[in-house]
Amino acid sequence: MQASCAQPRMGVYVCHCGLNIAGVVDVEAVRDSARALEGVVVARDNKYTCSEVGQKTIADDIRDLGLDRVVIASCSPRLHEKTFRGVLEKCGMNPFLLEMANIREQCSWVHSGDSAAATEKAKALVRSAVARARLLSPLSRSEGRVVPKVMVVGGGVAGISAALYLGNMGIKTYLVEREPSIGGHMAMLDKTFPTLDCSLCILSPKMVEVAENENIQVLSYSEVEKVEGQVGDFRVQVRRRARYVDEAKCVGCGDCAAKCPVRVPDEFNRNMGERKAIYIPFPQAIPPAYAIDAEHCRYLTQGKCRVCEKVCERGAVVFDQTDRVETVEVGAIVVATGFRPYDASKKPQYGYGRYPNVITSLDFERIICADGPTHGKLKRPGDQATPGRIAFIQCVGSRDEHGHDGAGAYCSRVCCMITAKQAFMVKEKHPDSEVYVYYTDMRTAGKGFEEFYQRGRGEGIVFVRGKPGEVREEEGGSLRITSEDADSGCILDLSFDMVVLAVGLTPPEGLVDLAQRLNLSRSADGFLMEGHPKLRPFETSIDGIYLAGCVQFPKDIPDSVAQAGGAAAVAAATCSRQKIEMDPLGPVIDEDLCIGCRLCEMLCPYGAIKVEKTDRGYKARSIEVACKGCGVCGASCSARAITMKHYSNDQIVAQTRALLEVS
Amino acid sequence: MADLAVGGRVAGQGQGQSEEGFEPEVVGFLCNWCSYAGADLAGTSRLAYPTNLRVIRVMCSGRVDPEIMLEPFLDGADGVMVLGCHPGDCHYLSGNYQAEQRVRTIWMVLDHLGIDRERLYLDWVSAAEGARFADMVSEFVARVRTLGPAGGGPASREGLSRGEFAFRAEVARRVAGGERFRWLVGRNKALSEEGNVYGEKVSPHKAAALMQSVIADECVRAAIEVLAGEAPVSVRDIASRLGISAQLVLEQAAYLKRRGLIELYDVSGRSPRYVRAGARA
Amino acid sequence: MACETRCPGGKTVGAVLVVGGGIGGMQAALDLAGSGFFVYMVETRPAIGGTMAQLDKTFPTNDCSMCIMSPKLVECGRHLNIDVITNSAVERVEGEAGDFTVTVVNRPRYVDPEKCTGCGVCAQHCPVGAARDTFNAGLGKRPSIYIDYPQAVPLAYVIDRDTCVGCGLCENMCLAGAIRYDDVPRERKISVGAIVLAPGFRAFDPSLRQEYGYGRYPNVVTSMEFERILSASGPYEGRVLRPSDGDIPEKIAFIQCVGSRDRAHGGRYCSSVCCMYATKEAVIAKEHAPGVQPTIFYMDMRSYGKGFDAYVERAKQEYGVRYVRTRVAEVAEVPATHNLIVSFESEHGRVVKEEFDLVVLSVGLEPPEDAGRLADVLGIQLDENGFARTGALDPLATTRPGVFVCGAMQGPKDIPETVTQASGASGAAGALLGSARGTLIREKIYPPEKDLRGVGPRIGVFICHCGINIGGVVDVPSVVEYAKTLPNVVYAERNLYTCSQDTQKRIQEKIQEHGLTRVVVASCTPRTHEPLFQETIREAGLNHYLFAMANIRDQCSWVHMHESEKATEKAKDLVRAAVAKAALLEPLERLPIEVKQSGLVIGGGLAGMIAALDLAEQGFQAYLVEVGPELGGHLRRIHFTLGGDDVQAYLRELVGRVMSNPLIEVHTSSEVKEIAGYLGNFRSRILDRSQGDGEAGSIREVEFEHGVVIVATGAAEFRPSGFLYGEHPGVMTQSELEARLASGVWPGHEQEQEQGQGKATEARGGLGPGPGLRRGRSVVMIQCVGSRDDEHDYCSRVCCSEAVKNAIRLKEADPDADVYILYRDIRTYGAREAYFEEARRRGVVFVRYPEGQMPVVLRSEAAEPGDGGGGGNGDGRLVVEVTDTLLDERLAIPADAVVLSAGIAPNESNKKVAQMLKVPLNESGFFLEAHMKLRPVDFATEGVFLAGLAHAPKTIDETIAQAHAAVARASTVLASGAITTEGIKSEVMKTRCTGCGLCVEACQYKALEIDPKDNVAKVNPALCKGCGLCAATCRCGAITLKGFTEEEILAEVSALC
Repeated sequence: MQASCAQPRMGVYVCHCGLNIAGVVDVEAVRDSARALEGVVVARDNKYTCSEVGQKTIADDIRDLGLDRVVIASCSPRLHEKTFRGVLEKCGMNPFLLEMANIREQCSWVHSGDSAAATEKAKALVRSAVARARLLSPLSRSEGRVVPKVMVVGGGVAGISAALYLGNMGIKTYLVEREPSIGGHMAMLDKTFPTLDCSLCILSPKMVEVAENENIQVLSYSEVEKVEGQVGDFRVQVRRRARYVDEAKCVGCGDCAAKCPVRVPDEFNRNMGERKAIYIPFPQAIPPAYAIDAEHCRYLTQGKCRVCEKVCERGAVVFDQTDRVETVEVGAIVVATGFRPYDASKKPQYGYGRYPNVITSLDFERIICADGPTHGKLKRPGDQATPGRIAFIQCVGSRDEHGHDGAGAYCSRVCCMITAKQAFMVKEKHPDSEVYVYYTDMRTAGKGFEEFYQRGRGEGIVFVRGKPGEVREEEGGSLRITSEDADSGCILDLSFDMVVLAVGLTPPEGLVDLAQRLNLSRSADGFLMEGHPKLRPFETSIDGIYLAGCVQFPKDIPDSVAQAGGAAAVAAATCSRQKIEMDPLGPVIDEDLCIGCRLCEMLCPYGAIKVEKTDRGYKARSIEVACKGCGVCGASCSARAITMKHYSNDQIVAQTRALLEVS
Repeated sequence: MADLAVGGRVAGQGQGQSEEGFEPEVVGFLCNWCSYAGADLAGTSRLAYPTNLRVIRVMCSGRVDPEIMLEPFLDGADGVMVLGCHPGDCHYLSGNYQAEQRVRTIWMVLDHLGIDRERLYLDWVSAAEGARFADMVSEFVARVRTLGPAGGGPASREGLSRGEFAFRAEVARRVAGGERFRWLVGRNKALSEEGNVYGEKVSPHKAAALMQSVIADECVRAAIEVLAGEAPVSVRDIASRLGISAQLVLEQAAYLKRRGLIELYDVSGRSPRYVRAGARA
Repeated sequence: MACETRCPGGKTVGAVLVVGGGIGGMQAALDLAGSGFFVYMVETRPAIGGTMAQLDKTFPTNDCSMCIMSPKLVECGRHLNIDVITNSAVERVEGEAGDFTVTVVNRPRYVDPEKCTGCGVCAQHCPVGAARDTFNAGLGKRPSIYIDYPQAVPLAYVIDRDTCVGCGLCENMCLAGAIRYDDVPRERKISVGAIVLAPGFRAFDPSLRQEYGYGRYPNVVTSMEFERILSASGPYEGRVLRPSDGDIPEKIAFIQCVGSRDRAHGGRYCSSVCCMYATKEAVIAKEHAPGVQPTIFYMDMRSYGKGFDAYVERAKQEYGVRYVRTRVAEVAEVPATHNLIVSFESEHGRVVKEEFDLVVLSVGLEPPEDAGRLADVLGIQLDENGFARTGALDPLATTRPGVFVCGAMQGPKDIPETVTQASGASGAAGALLGSARGTLIREKIYPPEKDLRGVGPRIGVFICHCGINIGGVVDVPSVVEYAKTLPNVVYAERNLYTCSQDTQKRIQEKIQEHGLTRVVVASCTPRTHEPLFQETIREAGLNHYLFAMANIRDQCSWVHMHESEKATEKAKDLVRAAVAKAALLEPLERLPIEVKQSGLVIGGGLAGMIAALDLAEQGFQAYLVEVGPELGGHLRRIHFTLGGDDVQAYLRELVGRVMSNPLIEVHTSSEVKEIAGYLGNFRSRILDRSQGDGEAGSIREVEFEHGVVIVATGAAEFRPSGFLYGEHPGVMTQSELEARLASGVWPGHEQEQEQGQGKATEARGGLGPGPGLRRGRSVVMIQCVGSRDDEHDYCSRVCCSEAVKNAIRLKEADPDADVYILYRDIRTYGAREAYFEEARRRGVVFVRYPEGQMPVVLRSEAAEPGDGGGGGNGDGRLVVEVTDTLLDERLAIPADAVVLSAGIAPNESNKKVAQMLKVPLNESGFFLEAHMKLRPVDFATEGVFLAGLAHAPKTIDETIAQAHAAVARASTVLASGAITTEGIKSEVMKTRCTGCGLCVEACQYKALEIDPKDNVAKVNPALCKGCGLCAATCRCGAITLKGFTEEEILAEVSALC
């Protein structure tokens, strides 16, 4: 249906909303004043305009009276705009020829004390809506294609879970991991709380499942370099770092590593053991292929050696590999790049890095792990002695009021339970050892958590409320902690053989860059910002990009997995659409006026407007599918060459004038 | 051109002497995602606030063109509210920062023209801040009440007659529509925060000084265009109307003449008189 | 002598550095580049053009300054052998004459001049407008990215980093991608053999004269600001408006000598140009706004130049400019109206207050801002006023060998003198580097001419707005649309300035793009701009002559400014005519002509000798012909300069050098009888009587061939009549007085001296014996005898300085003597002002007499008793009666001697020489140069140049500079060895010619003769000037003038009608 601006035929429907509106506003008077407005063919009042009867009245009028604009004075458009647009569409009218006046939330409900004034205001709002409706134009939604594939960035437990959900839904998924193997931090843990399951035992099958899922392609040793496009149609450039080992040929026999002459601190074991320059991070790695650490490889740094190449019978070592950039097209992206443990050396008062027997909770995981450097024997790093007295200090790098030294002001959520788990394990292995936990608050909000904590208390673990000011090293490598027990008010001055710092979770390395590449915003804590903290926890400000795991905020494994599922679901929903329809609120650029100053290009948060060189000079061009219709370009345009569809200056000015007209 | 502001403002007068029964007309531009939702929440929570506010919904506070901010003043509004999402919460990432830049600069224009900047209000309201919204509206309406009617003569803070207020608002709106002005408003934040093309961060002082000088020029130019659009005027006519030195007017009139925006109408006595380009025909 | 300095062995580099790109620098560069040297031109501003570019009009011809300068500007910009380095400063100079290494620092421009098209979009949108517009003398503002003026060379924008906020808009908008924010200062080393300094001047800052209120009162402006107000390209588009309120002023006061002739502020010297420019501005103001009533408050009206007095006279008579002789004490403002009260003392000593609407301060010229730094860098000395130190007898050489100076850096001067000096300095530099001539130049290689056979006329029409000069009157867009409809026109467009450098490129592009075979430009006069456009199309492969011009400015917009519609119609007609003609144009050939490497110098005075020496030192043969028995001319009568140099010693040395130079052939007592031939190939015949005593038998006829002629026939001191001159021995001329002073004979002691030394009598120049004067007596000098009167409408320029010089001599010899100088205006311009001051300090009494009331010299009635030896001859003392304008009373001054400051009169023989050379004389009988401002030593007739008093009265240093200049100009002809003729010349169709010979008679240039072989007329293409007289005379229609054929003209006519 074509709408003509010259002689619009408008219908105005004023809603009683039961007594919600009519109890304050004189609906009939509003209706009558609307009837007198130019171009208004019909004005009615309805009990409930949104009811079936109300909708039918409108539909009948459109049909019978040939309405080409509909104005509804009722509740907030945020509530029912969609509903009424649907009515118009059903009648074959363009849905954008609807205008609403909010006479409930912003009138009757807030001016119940002054009926007369509220009625006048309602009249003004209707007048304004009619003025705007007069200038509305039919708009058509733009469409973009949908690539039915998803990229998951980050191969920790969240990424793995998301990839599996997606893969199992039959969606082609790329799992991008920076390290040579997927697994993330979970692979480094010994046990998980509160069930004390072996961490890798439960993760490893999932990793294998990833490797075996034909819909999932693991891009290990790779990073996202650039992202272009928009929801449904992203083009992601992935840098695939040279591994120097052919993944397909390597069987993981380890002959190469055995002969490799270069010894390197093993980061998987928190640098507490050694690995070779050609290595596999841990035996269950996926892909199960070795990789050459180019920074340390003798051949790659000094030009001589190639022992591994010689010993590899399968000829899997390929020294002439180079980094390459692959472009992958996907319809949605799930970001799951996890976290980074807080760098405890930034709190020098605890002596981490200086005192060998001060370790972090993650170090402890490796020490206690059967696969770890001590093969699961509890030994302190300073002298490999078994520590009899162990202290845990909580909130290192968390709940830091001022956020000093890179610490977060937030609670890292998982550390209390990690410590509870670790303390419990110490007691389990060495029941006579003395274990003290210095804590701020014990936060055991989770299924079975409190019970687990109480179990620990039962085992004789001493929980001290208080944050030690410092840890001092004494002769023989033991450590002294003087602290107040806030519960009893006593000063405790104790010596320990080992101190474990429960470090918080901070945003992962390189997140600033990644956020920029993806055009995502970060919240004040430095993690990526979700679409809405309550209702859109998986989404971001960019359609088609979703979040899973700790990259959004610290969370434990089940929460990460749950969010991964959610993210996978919304990503799948996106990918399963035939096409992406976008609200046509974008800019219309008058090239006669455009001077090509690029202000719009510079200010557009979505890169949805680009200036191009034309025969007539530089001219701005809108990229409709990328546009979200915020209107910053239009309101900024130095040459006033940009009109916003549906929110044009003309429309807004007409509204303003109508509002201020003396009735 | 501070003279213009001084000339318009009658010190002390108008303050607190609100007209009997003066009900300010206030127009609010609310972003769809936070402040409009906040206003809805105020309604859902049945939080009463004065009826004086009339709301226009826009998708983002960043959509509110500086001209649009001034438009209500031309139509008789006594106050204008621009409300957006809290910093960092903008649904469109950064639109509210642009809104802030614009309002701050428009304040400078209003100062320059002797219109009380308090008539233009900027704040942030989240979707959860219904109560805050209601309080904000109440306070702003009360504030505007003390400012008196826009163009209310002695009963208003500025002491401007309706005609004079409308004239100045028109000048302000033209300034806000000017290319130079709009470009600098758009670039201002980046210049001081990200740095300019030479890799220097433009100091807030320098940026403000530049903006001041642009506003000073543009106000005179706009005023000349408005006046020359009404009737043939000489430089001295314009100067006495604006209460500023004719020398300043001449400089800008010469600029407009060179750009073909005004043209010579006749010479009256020894004074050339100008009209807006095309107005002669 | 500058040209004495030969390069000290070693290397001689055939390149010259010219510092400064104003009119002086441009002239020097063009002369040098034209005579075989590569030129680096370093200019501190972003574009060349200097002060002259800012001027609206020039005196005394009221030519549009930009219009006459623009061709030079463009030529400098496009000259293959001139490297224009703008936005740069000379940082270091190492080496010595012949081989300097100069370090030049190029300030960042932030715009790539190679890429910038000058489209101006950047400036149009630049949001910053904070910088004062320096080109408009600070009136109005300019954006942070700018060019000084639309015709700027190079036409590249520049970013003013001081005000640029760095917003990035210009880069965003530049389609050419020319913006470079990362530009940095760059150092560049260049190798040159000589340096010519032409950095110009700085205007005096009038805010230092607080009593005039500049800077406080908006309606007090400087002369430069007023110049911009008058200019069509200025802030008010040429409308005379006053800054306070934009009203049209009625009463305008010009206050002279602001920063000049002022011990306390600015220079003690006279700035030489202000009297004239104030007069010019008053006249132009009156032209622009007829209601204007200008008043010029002056101390002395120093309109000493050629044609200047006449100009001032016209200002008074025709324009009603009021001149008030006074020194203005104060300017006060009426706050309400911003009008100004000018307080001054009337001629009769009353304090008068007069109200004005606008006050213009005629600010003086100061040494350029960086003169001190430049002097340090270059290792030259400055004089007490801060100008480059030069000698009166060597005005172009600085104190460092190989470094020459010209223009206002040497002392305040006007445009023609600057141009003369510039040519002179280039000549001096050329003489120094003669051996390296041609070693570093690049030759222009034209693309082959396109073969247009079989290609019909495809005409492109380019129509110029000339800023608003044309566009303000003529509706140019409609003319363009009209042009597109004309037959054969395949393309038409309009340009802001068709003459600008970027448009030249554009025309060439359009020729290629549209396959144009003829080009029509509708703009100004072909007289100034045709060569430019011809060159442009030739570079694009079209023959020079496939070009036609329509003059829609000088002969349309400028003369029909109040009839826009009719002017537009006329412009269309003119374009239609030009297009009609263009369609018929054919390619014409330019013939190369060999140039004889020699010059004839007529006149063996100072100018002639210098010219001959310069020619010889540049390696050319010189023939020096002097009518008198000895070389020296008028210089023989001058004994010392104002500064005290021994002129006679200098003369002896100069004569010696001339006589001993093997390349100079001197003919004294000789007369030129005939000069035949033409540029490059003259043949002259002279009669040489020097061998005998003038008897017929001893007369020798000599003939020689030469490439150029330099006219230096000099002038003579006017022989006064009246004033008892020749009747009373106590009455003498200045040069007679000088002769006596030089001989050591104090006028009062002559008798005693005469008895002792016979020679002194001779020196008096035949003045009868008579003692006349004694120590302690009174000498009265009368100025303007034979100048500025009905018979001689010009000022003789030198007499005031001469009088001051001799008065000081007298006072030096006898402080008790009463010396009076009766004058009308004391015209001790430039640094000479200091001597005027000294004379007053020494007690010389200056009495101003009114115009038209010449002092009267009488014999004293009363014989004075006890008048010793003086009374013996019975002549008695003298009394000079004069009206003193200051006291307003008639004085009778007793005098022992009366000295007449006799003017300089042109030689009688000038007429004959003029006829022989076919060059014009002016009304006063001096030779008339090609153009008063920009071609002061050239004649309209090619190959003939002018120097010295033959041109106009001038001082020794001016003569020397001009002589150097004449040779510099001549060497641009001689250096190339060959020149090309114009293509427009007559052609005879043999079959139609009857050999009647009418054409031979008609031709003024002797370019036609009847070939005895087949009895038909034959044209000497080298001589033919293309006047077309022959063609019009020919009865058989056998002669056509190529380029102006009958068909072409008829086509034009029918297109017009």
